[in-house]
Amino acid sequence: MKKFVFTLFALSTLISCEAFKDEFGKLQDEWSPVWNPVPADPEAEHLWTETELSEEKGLQEITTIADLKRMYKNVPTEILENVWIKGQVISDDRTGNVYREMYIQDETGGIDLKIGRSSLYSDYRLGQWIYVYCNGLTVGAYSGMPQLGLEADKTSTNEYETSYIDLIPFIKEHIFKGKFDAPVRPRQISEDELKASLSAGFNGELWGQYVTLPGLTYGNQVFCLLYPNSNLPHSSAEPWNRIFLSDQTWGIDTWACSKPGFLQYLESGAWDQAEVGSGASRYGAGSILKTPKELGVGDNFSSTEAAMSYKDIMKQHATASHVSHYFKFGGTDVQVRTSGYAKFADEKISETVPSSGTVSITGIITTYNGAAQLTLIDVPANCVKK
Amino acid sequence: MTKKLILALAAVLAAMSLFAQEGPTGDPTGGVKGTVVDRNGRRPVENARLILLQGAKEITTVNSAEDGTFFIPGLKNGMYTLRIMAPDYLETQVQVTVNNGYVKNMFNLSLSSAQRLDDVDDDNFSLFDLENSGYSDNPTILFGSNDVFDNITGFNFSAVRFRARGYSSESQDIYLAGVRLNDAITGYTPYSLWSGLNEAMRDKETVPGADMSRYGLGAYNGITNIFGTASHVRKGLRTGILTNSALYRLRVSASYSTGMMDNGWAFAANVSARLGGNHWIDGIYYRSFAYYFAADKKLNNEHLLSLVFFGAPGERGVQNSSTQEVYDLVGNNMYNSNWGYQGGKVRNARVRKTHEPVAILKHDWTPSDRFEMSTTILARFGNNGYTALDWYDAQDPRPDYYRNLPSYFWDSNPDMNRNNMVKYAWATEVWSHSKDYPSITQVDWDHLYNVNYLQEDGRSKYIQENRHTDQRDLNLAMNFRTRPLDFLSVNAGLFARLNYTHYYKTVEDLLGGQFFVNVDNFAERDFGAQEWRLQNDLDYYLENKKAEAVGEGGKYGYDYAAQTRNVGGWFDSQVTFGNFSATLGARFSYDTYWRVGYNRKGLFPGLQENGEPFKDLEGNEIPVTYEPDGTVTTSKGKSTYKHFYTWSVKAGASYVFGGNMRVSGHVGYYTDAPRFNQVFLSPRTRNSIVGNVTPQKTFSSDINWQYNGNGINARVTAYYTTIKDQCKVMSAFDDLQNTFSNFAITGIDQRHMGIELGFKVPTYFVPNLSVQGALSLGEYVYTSVPLLTQTVDNSADVILRDEPISYWKETINADGSSTKHYVPSTPQTAMSLGLSYNYNYWYFDFDVEFFDRAYLDMSPIYRTDYAVAGHDYNITPEEVEYMTSQERFKPAFLMNASVGKSWYIKRKYQLGFSLSAKNLLNNKNVKTGGYEQTRFVDNTVAKDRYYRFPSKYFYMAGFNYMINVYFRF
Repeated sequence: MKKFVFTLFALSTLISCEAFKDEFGKLQDEWSPVWNPVPADPEAEHLWTETELSEEKGLQEITTIADLKRMYKNVPTEILENVWIKGQVISDDRTGNVYREMYIQDETGGIDLKIGRSSLYSDYRLGQWIYVYCNGLTVGAYSGMPQLGLEADKTSTNEYETSYIDLIPFIKEHIFKGKFDAPVRPRQISEDELKASLSAGFNGELWGQYVTLPGLTYGNQVFCLLYPNSNLPHSSAEPWNRIFLSDQTWGIDTWACSKPGFLQYLESGAWDQAEVGSGASRYGAGSILKTPKELGVGDNFSSTEAAMSYKDIMKQHATASHVSHYFKFGGTDVQVRTSGYAKFADEKISETVPSSGTVSITGIITTYNGAAQLTLIDVPANCVKK
Repeated sequence: MTKKLILALAAVLAAMSLFAQEGPTGDPTGGVKGTVVDRNGRRPVENARLILLQGAKEITTVNSAEDGTFFIPGLKNGMYTLRIMAPDYLETQVQVTVNNGYVKNMFNLSLSSAQRLDDVDDDNFSLFDLENSGYSDNPTILFGSNDVFDNITGFNFSAVRFRARGYSSESQDIYLAGVRLNDAITGYTPYSLWSGLNEAMRDKETVPGADMSRYGLGAYNGITNIFGTASHVRKGLRTGILTNSALYRLRVSASYSTGMMDNGWAFAANVSARLGGNHWIDGIYYRSFAYYFAADKKLNNEHLLSLVFFGAPGERGVQNSSTQEVYDLVGNNMYNSNWGYQGGKVRNARVRKTHEPVAILKHDWTPSDRFEMSTTILARFGNNGYTALDWYDAQDPRPDYYRNLPSYFWDSNPDMNRNNMVKYAWATEVWSHSKDYPSITQVDWDHLYNVNYLQEDGRSKYIQENRHTDQRDLNLAMNFRTRPLDFLSVNAGLFARLNYTHYYKTVEDLLGGQFFVNVDNFAERDFGAQEWRLQNDLDYYLENKKAEAVGEGGKYGYDYAAQTRNVGGWFDSQVTFGNFSATLGARFSYDTYWRVGYNRKGLFPGLQENGEPFKDLEGNEIPVTYEPDGTVTTSKGKSTYKHFYTWSVKAGASYVFGGNMRVSGHVGYYTDAPRFNQVFLSPRTRNSIVGNVTPQKTFSSDINWQYNGNGINARVTAYYTTIKDQCKVMSAFDDLQNTFSNFAITGIDQRHMGIELGFKVPTYFVPNLSVQGALSLGEYVYTSVPLLTQTVDNSADVILRDEPISYWKETINADGSSTKHYVPSTPQTAMSLGLSYNYNYWYFDFDVEFFDRAYLDMSPIYRTDYAVAGHDYNITPEEVEYMTSQERFKPAFLMNASVGKSWYIKRKYQLGFSLSAKNLLNNKNVKTGGYEQTRFVDNTVAKDRYYRFPSKYFYMAGFNYMINVYFRF
């Protein structure tokens, strides 16, 4: 039977004259799904060693992350030499609190590697060694925080110094997976160390590292920037489309606001005293209940929305929102910043943080305009300890 | 005025009937006999159907015997017309005069062969993978080798997916053994059920347009009845081997039929296999088989029992569409993104796997010349699956996903905010050398597996799913045919259908992982913090306090059934007076539909049996939403029932001139129930019903001129049809809502008018050479402003309610002029002109074809003010033209040729071949279909408008050939 089938197969191939010309590979590609539509499971991906990278990819020496950061010349700096760094993966986007970036850390420091793809925990495991070929990448700062990415988009309004490494060919060329290893243990830091990094600015040793901050007390204060209609322009030049919630908690007792959470807060009236505007253009406490028309900015909205209160506009365009909660680390403020898309966004802070007393919180420490921010990379139950 | 007209008509009719009665009389001892032969080789043609007519009145029908002979006894003296039809031959007519009570011997009656290459069937159309675009695709197959227009267009025009008169395939009625078999849910023609069984299904009766058929009232787009029973399969053994460079490399088939034996039994069998890929599209393949077994038992002269069982198990790798950007970069309009390498071997992600056997029991009862009746029970069952990649919280695995393409990184329009030249250059480099980067430009299976390997808990992030559409379809049809009066014949029938279609997904392949979790990723984006909302099976979650982990073969995602019931009756009567005949028919039908949900989605849980809301794991009430009629929106259990009563009437008249020429006209009004998939808003998630669906109303009329005889076949038809109140539901991702969205469109009206011409005429100066041609010139346009209601899968919110699709029927151009919008996916100008030569078992055909005025399927959302306005709600004429215009495809010019020859060995065995070469000019730029993505670029710099996503297209294969070698005895 097999012979017969093979003969037929051969015959049909013979009579198709292009097939004659085509090399054997194409023929094999064409027929393999017929005999075997589901090929055997492929082998596990090859994990690189330094020796292999030296032999095949031209690695000569490993630069430390701290040294890499020092190459930053206060403007976006493209690395044009054969620079390689290595580090262990310390961030995990599984909970949704880290998005389109990955932090790696060596013994000298950590860095925000801007791999612009989602669900990176699908590709990289906590503790896994990563080698980064930096030639062609750009070291930049985002509001003072060191990042490694590609050269920035040439947009006039761009506030970023680097852009995402999101194109697969770039990832394949620059990022090499090494062996798995035990996850990095968080480094417990002191307020003095934090202060030292804050005063060092960009070159602060801590930025991008996995740390535990002990002895934190809750500051009863949030910071949250909302855009009433996020589809309309909302930069600092459009204060009519910005609302800051700050200086108090505004009733926010969860780590952040998911879309349903956002609606709940909004509808509860907790934000009714909020003020539209930012910078010099502010429209007064409680202006959230007014319409754009009443505030004299109706032209920026559709005629329907111009006559709706800001609160109603926000209901219409409800979206998940970031929230930063202030904690006191001795005398230094630390903002724990959580994404509205985090799976634990709607979890009550009080479940893990007592109203009095101190907690230690573990996460990745970053800097934003001279302040320290902490990002949880796991659910609060695992990162917040009494 | 009307009264006068009726009186005049009555007078004419009366005169005609007098004429008929006063016609030549005599003892009915006369008759006609002869032999039906092939014009080409003078071989006898068995099983040809010969219909004897007097004027327009049908006297009797006989079939030719194995040696081609026939005999019709018992005729009175007079003039008769003999219509002769046989599979693979063009219909012909001859005049016969019976006088002095003698049997007239016609000797050899020759038939000229139709395009004999191969039947067009489901396989001739590559499956278009429309993914989650919301569009659907179903090509129309034209067959009926007897009609000259259908014969020419059926085979040659299939390459450009020509639809006769622009009608959708749903309007074409396909019967098998007397049962209408169009899909109960979609209305589509069900050819795939018998793909590969060309021999067993060869014998069929087709009427074009609104002509009358004996199997049902039909409508305006033809009726085909495939006989399908054992005694209709050609006698003897027939084997064939075929290769087609545009479809599959190898088809082998064999059929055997005993014919009706003396003991009253007839047995037939047909098996085939289709294997391999093709020259043009990588990654597609056939692995398809087919079987057919049938037996007929003639109990006596009155009763015939038939039993048939067939199926076409197999799988087919499917082709996907891409944007022109991708095709241009890759340098190949036939690039297919569905496949990739797994451990160095080709694997296709989208595979259609079907095995839907059909069983038929049929009883024919012929108690007298004036009455016959058939009863058929037909059951369809088995499964029909379509695999696809699915993923949870992982990157989009489709290689041509828009964020992987150069255009995502740079665009000349600064408003698009795409400014990274470096990435643009890199992406361009990779895609323009796609063969060097298969792991980027094709599905990277190794990567998908590795992602799964990496998950320490064994949870698969990527899987291959199987979307099942499993039908249990039971049909009963009773058809009668009677001639109560000499001048009156009546066809009538009753039908009943019970259809249960089960839609569900299973995990086909965990791709190296151990389980998949049954949650809804789209819900997770919005409601990630509320675990109960993400559940596809809330009952499981509440009971087990965690989401269900599903293994290979396990059900997940959606799970519901469409229940439809349909009963009705029809009649079609014909009165004949001399050369004039008139028909009148009607149909009544009752349809009812309901949905049955088998799982409770967290998004639409409904209420507990005690009327209380469900409670989440913390004991909080799970909120419910309500439908406009006040009922609770729920995903599980029975929906409300939808009932539709519809009726249709159809009338026609024809006059026969001199035996060979016939002029006829039809007019009909049809109401058709909306189908299940047009009634439920989002059947995958809930029971919600589209508010204002009403039956579709069609008015159709045509006039035809036909000539068959003296080797000449010709038909001209002019038609005018309006179709009103059509509705449609499509589901697609919406960038503005950032979630999966459902668009229910109601009130779509369209108008089809045009002319059709087909002819085959011998050239008298070169013997055996004929000229043949076909022309279809139509205008199929949209004529209404339909309404759009948009909802999302994630909530019961109505995003848009009855929003007018203002620019559906036309675009208002920036200069103030307007441009009509056309019914898409078929050329509205199509023509073919060719030569056909037949001599001594040789034949050569050559033809040139021209197609123009084909248009792209339109996204309804792009035609709304909502889309035109953008974020700033400001509508400018330029934005209107940009957003609402419809793409017209470039015209196409094609050239085809074919040749064939058969030899008879020892007058018993026949060996033959045919070679057909299509698209000789190797035109690789002919778009055959596609769609507009229902998506927007909305994150612009100025935030004052939206941009469209680029459209996706399918292209026709370049030069391709088919070789068929057959052996028969």
